[in-house]
Amino acid sequence: MGISEAIYKRGKTAGVFPSLSTRRDEAYMDFIESARNLLLHAQQEPIGEYSKLLLKNAGKSMEPDPKSTAEAIELLMKDNVLKTYYRIKRTLQESFWECTYSSLHMRKNDLLRALDDAEKIGPGSVAYDLDFSIPEYATAEIHIQPGGNVNDPLSGLLYDYGSKVFMGGAADNDMFADMQASAVATPQNNKVHRILDLGCSAGVTTSALKRIYPDAEVWGIDISAHMVRYAHARALGQNLDINFKQMLAEELDFENNHFDIVVANLLFHEVPVSISRKILSETLRVLRPGGSFTLIDFSGDKSRDVYTMFFGAMDAADNGEPFLPGFVRSNVEEIMEARGFEMHPYDPDKFILAERIGFKPNH
Amino acid sequence: MTDKKLNDLDGLENLPGFKRGNPTYFENEVIDHLISITLELGAELWVVKDRLAHVEEVLSEHNKLSLDSLSTGKPSALLQEQLDLERTQIIKRIYGRLYSKYGGDVAEEKSAI
Repeated sequence: MGISEAIYKRGKTAGVFPSLSTRRDEAYMDFIESARNLLLHAQQEPIGEYSKLLLKNAGKSMEPDPKSTAEAIELLMKDNVLKTYYRIKRTLQESFWECTYSSLHMRKNDLLRALDDAEKIGPGSVAYDLDFSIPEYATAEIHIQPGGNVNDPLSGLLYDYGSKVFMGGAADNDMFADMQASAVATPQNNKVHRILDLGCSAGVTTSALKRIYPDAEVWGIDISAHMVRYAHARALGQNLDINFKQMLAEELDFENNHFDIVVANLLFHEVPVSISRKILSETLRVLRPGGSFTLIDFSGDKSRDVYTMFFGAMDAADNGEPFLPGFVRSNVEEIMEARGFEMHPYDPDKFILAERIGFKPNH
Repeated sequence: MTDKKLNDLDGLENLPGFKRGNPTYFENEVIDHLISITLELGAELWVVKDRLAHVEEVLSEHNKLSLDSLSTGKPSALLQEQLDLERTQIIKRIYGRLYSKYGGDVAEEKSAI
C-alpha cells in the first residue's frame, strides 16, 4: 500500500499534506489556522508600528545590539496588548501541536506501516540507521513540536502538517517550497548533474528541486531517521526519484567535488553557530569548482533594527528556536566568505527568505 | 567575534516562552488562563458549528445521515467556502477587539508569507 492511500484516505487534505484523522480535528485546526492568520500574521505590521512608537516615546535606542534588545524586551513586555499578542501566539502554537499529535497518533500503527511499505519501493530510496548517534543540539524541541525532529516516529508527518498550519496556507500544495527552490542559484557553466539538500526534514524543498531539475540526481539528508523515512514516502507520493539518507550536515558522507548545487533551506538557524561553521566547510568540500551553494534563512542583525531583534527573540522563545539569536548575530554571509566561498551580492533587507549565495572557487 | 558572543541567547532563557509547559506572560496568571480558555472555547464552538452545517447539508441532500459519512466525508465546496468566511468573521468579531488599541481589530486575514 502506498503512503498516499494510507494517509489521504479521508476527505479533506491540503494538496500534498496528509489529512488529520477526523473531521472534528480538521475543523479545530481550521479555527487555529484562521486565528493565527487574523490574530498573529495580520497583526505583524500594525503591532510592529505600535511597538516602535512605544520604544520611540520611551527614548530607547533603535540599534540592534544586545543591550538595546534587552532594554526593548523589558519595556515592550510590560505592555498589556503585547503580552496578549504573545499569549495568543503561544496558546495557538500549543493547541495546534496538541491536536496534530493526538490526531496523527490515533492511527499511528497504520501510518508507520505505510512508511515501512514505502521503504521497499521506488522511485527513489531511503537509508537510515536506528543506532545513529544523535548530537545533543538536535534533540531540542524545535517549534515546540512534541518529540522534536528526532524523538517521535511520526515526526515527519507532524512537521509537515504543522508547517501547513504554521504557514497559514502559504505552504499548501508546496507553494512555499517551489518559491524557495526557484531562488536556488545555478552553478557556473549551468551544468547540473547532482544536487544536495542539507537538513531536508520532510523533503519538501528536495522535491521542489527535483521538479526544477528532473534529470539530476537529487539527495536529501537529515539528522532524523523519522524525517527521511517520511520524506521518501512523500516524494514517492509525487512519483519523484530522490535519494534520502540520514546524515549529519557537518559530517557529509560524500566525495570531494561531488555536487553541482548544494542547498540549505532554513537549516542554519536550527543549529549552533559552531556547527554552522563545520557545515560550511563540508559544503565547500563536496561542491565541485564553480558549484553553487544557496543558503536560505533569516537575515542577520546588521540589517535589523531593535524591534526586529525583539520580535526575533520573542519568536525564538515562543516557537522553540534556541539557536536563532546566535544565527542572526553571526551574519552567516561573512562566515561563508571567510570559509572561501565567492559570494554573490546579498540583499540584506529581506527579513526572511534571505538568500546567501556562494560559489566554490575554480582555482 | 568569538563563538561565545555568537551563541549569546540575548536573554532568551529569561523570556516567558522559553519555558516548556504553560508559560505565563502576565503577572496574574489567571489572565493567561482566561485568554487560553477563550481561544479553546472558540475552537470548540467552531467544531460544533462546522459539524452542524455538515449535518444540515447531508440531511437536506440525502434525507438520511450516517456517522461514517460525517467523519469520512467533507462538505461541498460551496458550504466549505461559506464556512471559511463565517469562521474568519467570527474570529475577527470576537477576538479582534483585543487589538483595538492600535487599530489591529480591522486587520485583514493574512498568511505567514
